[in-house]
Amino acid sequence: MIKLNGTEKPYCETIDKLLSENHYETKKIAVLVNGEIVKKEHWPVFALKPGDEVDAVTFVGGG
Amino acid sequence: MTYQIGGRDLKSRFFIGSGKLPSYAIIPEMVEKTGIEVITVAVRRINPETRHENIMDYIPGHCVIMVNTSGARNAGEAVRIARIGRELTGSDWIKIEVETDAKYLLPDNEETLKATEILVGEGFMVFPYISPDLVMAKKLAKAGAAAVMPLAAPIGTNKGITCAALLKPIINEIDIPVIIDAGIGRPSHAAEAMELGADAVLANTAIATAPNPVTMAIAMAKAVEAGRMAFEMGLLAEKEFADASSPLTGFLRRAE
Repeated sequence: MIKLNGTEKPYCETIDKLLSENHYETKKIAVLVNGEIVKKEHWPVFALKPGDEVDAVTFVGGG
Repeated sequence: MTYQIGGRDLKSRFFIGSGKLPSYAIIPEMVEKTGIEVITVAVRRINPETRHENIMDYIPGHCVIMVNTSGARNAGEAVRIARIGRELTGSDWIKIEVETDAKYLLPDNEETLKATEILVGEGFMVFPYISPDLVMAKKLAKAGAAAVMPLAAPIGTNKGITCAALLKPIINEIDIPVIIDAGIGRPSHAAEAMELGADAVLANTAIATAPNPVTMAIAMAKAVEAGRMAFEMGLLAEKEFADASSPLTGFLRRAE
């Protein structure tokens, strides 16, 4: 299992795969694994471990 | 005429917050009609079920994006949001917003100072949102903040300049720009902030929740400009007694 934006999801080996399996838009988003930013160029190769907490974030309106 | 803030030359002294807008699609028109150059955005988790338009697709390229750290409850969280913001936009302008008080959304000045120190060290242009406290503003200036953003009133309250007596000392005593933020509900509030001598004003709720946000943004932008022009002319002191503005009509009663 991997926690994606607070919800348990089946394990995926890479960030790229995790995002596409869960139908996440990948343009203009940032990804954090256990609180640390993983740069986009590393998404295809960054090895996720079971239990990792992944956050996918983007911009919204805000003051 | 341009002025300098956060290492940039800007013309507009009016910053807009993009929260609560009915649609991001009105942003280009708002920018065009008001001349604003700085717009704030927030960072949130994506919800793949509710696919939204992405605000970044609507902000014109010449605008400076100021990422805010709203939602951060301490310095560490604010620092993390700042790094995400820079990763996503390439913009190093960050508005530090650390709030733990849910009712009044008042900023935690102490955590804000900590976050400012860390982010200045990482090369960010740091814009801390603070309660109007001169001593804290001095500490933030010393820590290398690009400006300070004292509140006029709590966020979204539309109460206006509730604490001029606390804002004025900040404007007078610190060397970095002062941007009055939060509580600006009407154009007259924005003008008052500028008449006090603020370098810029940021408004969000009053614009975003107006029936026509573009029209309200134009009204606010005009008020900011009017207030600034008046400040530059030097405002006159109040007087206790009348001082005739027309020449006295001495000829009428010569016979008396």
